[in-house]
Amino acid sequence: MGNKQTIFTDEQLDAYQDCTFFTRKEILRLHGRYHEMAPNVVPMDYTKDPDVKLPMQLIINMPELKENPFKERIVESFSEDGEGSLSFNDFVDMFSVLSEMAPRELKAIYAFKIYDFNTDNFICKSDLEKTLNKLTREELTAEEITLVCEKVIEEADMDGDGKLGFADFENMISKAPDFLRQPLQALYCCQANEDAVKSVA
Amino acid sequence: MSYYNEAFENPDYHFSETLEIDRRRSPQKNLFSRQTPYDASLHGFCGEHGRRGQNYPLAIPMASMRHSSEYSEGLPGVNVLSRSLYGNSMDTLFFEPEPELAYSPPSTFHLLDRPYTRRISNVSEDSFIQRRNRRPPDEIFLTSSSLFETDPVCKEEEELVGNLASMSAGERIKAIQKMPETMKKKREIRNKVLNQITKKSKHNSTQLSCCTECLQGTVVSFRRFGNSLSEYFHLLQLWHKTLKIIGAKFGTSVLSYFLFLKWLLIFNIFSFLINFSFITVPQFVAAEPNNLSFMGLELLTGAGYFQQTVLYYGFYTNATISKIENGSSYNMQLAYIFSVGIYFVICFLTLLFSMAKSFSRNFTNPHTHSGNASKLLCTWDFNITNEKAVKLTQKNLSTQIKEDFADVNREVLNFSLTERVVRIVIHLVSWVASLGTAVAACAGVYFLSISNLKLFVKERKNNLESQAAMLVLPVATSLLNAFIPFFYSWLGHLERFQTPRHQIYVTITRNIILKISIVGILCYYWLNIVAASESQCWETLVGQDIYRLVVVDFMFCLLGSFFGEFLLRIIGTTVCVSLGLPEFDIGRNVLDLIYAQTLTWIGILFSPLLPGIQMISFSIVFYVKKVSLLMNCQPPRKVWRTAQMTTSFIFLLFFPSFLGVLSVIGVTVWRIKPSEECGPFRGLSSMYAAVSEWIEILENYTASKWVVWIYHNLLSSELFFFILSVVVLIITYLHWQIIEGRKTTTKLLKKQIANEGKDKKFILEKLRTLQRVDQNPSAPRGQDQQRSSSSYYPSRQPAQQVSGRAFDSNQNASYNEYPSSAGILRGTGFPPDSEKSEPSSRPGMSEAVALVLRAREAAQWEDEGDNEDFQP
Repeated sequence: MGNKQTIFTDEQLDAYQDCTFFTRKEILRLHGRYHEMAPNVVPMDYTKDPDVKLPMQLIINMPELKENPFKERIVESFSEDGEGSLSFNDFVDMFSVLSEMAPRELKAIYAFKIYDFNTDNFICKSDLEKTLNKLTREELTAEEITLVCEKVIEEADMDGDGKLGFADFENMISKAPDFLRQPLQALYCCQANEDAVKSVA
Repeated sequence: MSYYNEAFENPDYHFSETLEIDRRRSPQKNLFSRQTPYDASLHGFCGEHGRRGQNYPLAIPMASMRHSSEYSEGLPGVNVLSRSLYGNSMDTLFFEPEPELAYSPPSTFHLLDRPYTRRISNVSEDSFIQRRNRRPPDEIFLTSSSLFETDPVCKEEEELVGNLASMSAGERIKAIQKMPETMKKKREIRNKVLNQITKKSKHNSTQLSCCTECLQGTVVSFRRFGNSLSEYFHLLQLWHKTLKIIGAKFGTSVLSYFLFLKWLLIFNIFSFLINFSFITVPQFVAAEPNNLSFMGLELLTGAGYFQQTVLYYGFYTNATISKIENGSSYNMQLAYIFSVGIYFVICFLTLLFSMAKSFSRNFTNPHTHSGNASKLLCTWDFNITNEKAVKLTQKNLSTQIKEDFADVNREVLNFSLTERVVRIVIHLVSWVASLGTAVAACAGVYFLSISNLKLFVKERKNNLESQAAMLVLPVATSLLNAFIPFFYSWLGHLERFQTPRHQIYVTITRNIILKISIVGILCYYWLNIVAASESQCWETLVGQDIYRLVVVDFMFCLLGSFFGEFLLRIIGTTVCVSLGLPEFDIGRNVLDLIYAQTLTWIGILFSPLLPGIQMISFSIVFYVKKVSLLMNCQPPRKVWRTAQMTTSFIFLLFFPSFLGVLSVIGVTVWRIKPSEECGPFRGLSSMYAAVSEWIEILENYTASKWVVWIYHNLLSSELFFFILSVVVLIITYLHWQIIEGRKTTTKLLKKQIANEGKDKKFILEKLRTLQRVDQNPSAPRGQDQQRSSSSYYPSRQPAQQVSGRAFDSNQNASYNEYPSSAGILRGTGFPPDSEKSEPSSRPGMSEAVALVLRAREAAQWEDEGDNEDFQP
């Protein structure tokens, strides 16, 4: 119990709890992970909401994201400055949305952002091409890629504007309920780290 | 990308006053009225819009509202993002700053969404979230326009906060959690809401402030206590970490097998607890000494020593157990029948609800995109974090896409007649072969079991040899269960199905037919032959049979992972490298689980502690499978539609398995005479007779008359069930009709979306032309106008005429036959003259309005052709 006060106040924890799908313990663990990435930059004491941001490079090297082909996009979608640096708030937000407790509607919104590479609020052909390249490690020929992308748009585009709006996207993913689910090892593999935190505190 | 970044990086942008206003405005706009641009009038943004909005009747049936909101949006809740986007583009210009100009189509959405705005007062949490999340594209224009407004904005924010504050605590938290906002924003909103709540409560009870503070303190500490409690519950979740690891390495599809296994395990634990506490523990009190010797092989056969234990039906007493003289007694018969009955009722409800839930989630609109779109955007399994697995998945995906291309090319070729005939013949032959195998397997099991029965009844020896002979039947059954599936999958390869999914489903169907018919023939043997034999206690015999089947099946499962996975890996890595690592066969493993669970359910009545045994075996299976999977297997090559597969697994567990078990249990309880000399129901004509006798006794007591009444008038009265089923049928029929209606609405709404898209394109094009003209300063205004209007002129006349025609025909023809569709069309129909009467203070605006009008007409003209499809 003792270490809780040193990191967050109870009010802060309550706020985090109300705004995410995590419990107190999980938030503390997330803090542990966040702190672990850059112990010199991230303070242990978060009671004053320090304005600290970690660059994308650190975040995407987390084991949870490291192998994900969309890691950059994921991080960018959740960073407040759009550049990929995450404050602790953004960090918690990201894992909250990726957790299995988050409802599908919420995931859909962020999935759309992730796939929307050029952030024009539509998934257009270039976005699809990038997605496909990431999905297949660029093994397809350019011709195949264009063909697939055309087909996708043809299939999913309901209002005929040649690109996928959020409505089209949501309609399409309504059949894939368990997409965008990230196993949060962050919450289960950092026990040791947390113990270390306790001993410090 | 650039504008996006720019907007965020620039701190001035963030904190500039206009944007602040803008940002603060956003939530409540979503919350209440932003679906429709016309509701800007609500915020003092009055003008023609408001009036125009009121011109149209609410012609949309309520049922369509939900759909409309589903489809009527454009952007995800990228509030800040979209705003900055268009906020910036304001200067570089693209659209004219006048909001009326920028957007004023007489949108159908507007009409559809109107009802929402009328129901502001009762915004449910759900719809609130929905609208937050779905921002209509129109809003972009509006938000930019809102920069020009000087309205008091705080009021609106208060409304949002107030709205949140009026929700219950749980709802509020859920609503905040679901907001697609940054954490900062969410916390801000939350703090405001909390402040308001405290303010309100203080205001309400100024005198009792001390008391309320105390109360709030306790509420907060209660919540914290609850939270920490839920954390501990979290710890109780079985194998959480293991499941995460499996998910990370093998993806969701393999994970679904383990989740299913865990789910079944929970069923069994639950059943075991019920049976143990309500049947077995009381029996211990009245236990008789067991004088049989224990040899060791009994663990496998379940006979011998175990015959005289609480494991089997035959051991239970039929007496009422009373520890204290003259105290309350415990009726074993009733305990037995009620604990089993209640367990089955709970199972039934659980299965039904989980099935319904997953059906509604996964099969809501089955006839939308099947192929590529979802393949591209939905296939990525974000669960996978293992490097090898990721690479493999990527490789599989690209091969799959390539294969799809090959398929497309092949389909173009089309099969010739002879090829088709050959195909059909192959399918027929393989079906005959598979059904024939199933029948042969059943016949084998049947004759084996009959000879087995002779062994039981005639030679009552208790030596090792006869015990070992008992194992022949279960071993044979398990062998059949283990090897025929290989034959089936070989058949499946032979048939060369067009899609792999086809093959999977056909193979699963054949396997389930095999397994269920084997269980069915065994049930027939138990209920018709064992029950009629002259054995002393047939229930115990059946219980032993099931026990053996369960145990042997468990051993085969372990052997299966040893040979099927471990040996294959050894072969695949050393001897024959081309084979590679084996894959985890989800379908086969899940069917094994369903089979085992079916046996357990049947066995509950004859051997109340069987769920306990199954519980142990399932936990062992979990660990063995986990280790074998992690050591031996590679992630599956096929992309499974996991969610749908899970649904079909639950369905299979429900339909042949659980319902079959229910009928077997029903026959046993109602029809078959329990044995005379053993078990709790000895001497009764059927097990159910215990309940009727109990009711007769109850009739003597006035205090329990209501139980008797319920029994006579509800449970045992045909009339009641007749009425009940009639009511259920009526409700089903009504729901069916509602669904049909919704389907029509969906169709129409989809059409509207398509039209809307055309509208949008058309308008944008025209606006661009107009802008180009407007930005040309050299051209005098009047000329300009003339030019633009003249350029549209040709399209104008015919469009109007046609629209009038289309309009009439809609009203005349479809109104009678399709009230709902006519309603929509009428609603969207735009009285052609309403706009012209308006004073056009700004020439640009009226032109845009006219443009929109024409776009709408053109769209409707096209629509007319389509509408004829709807009219028979």
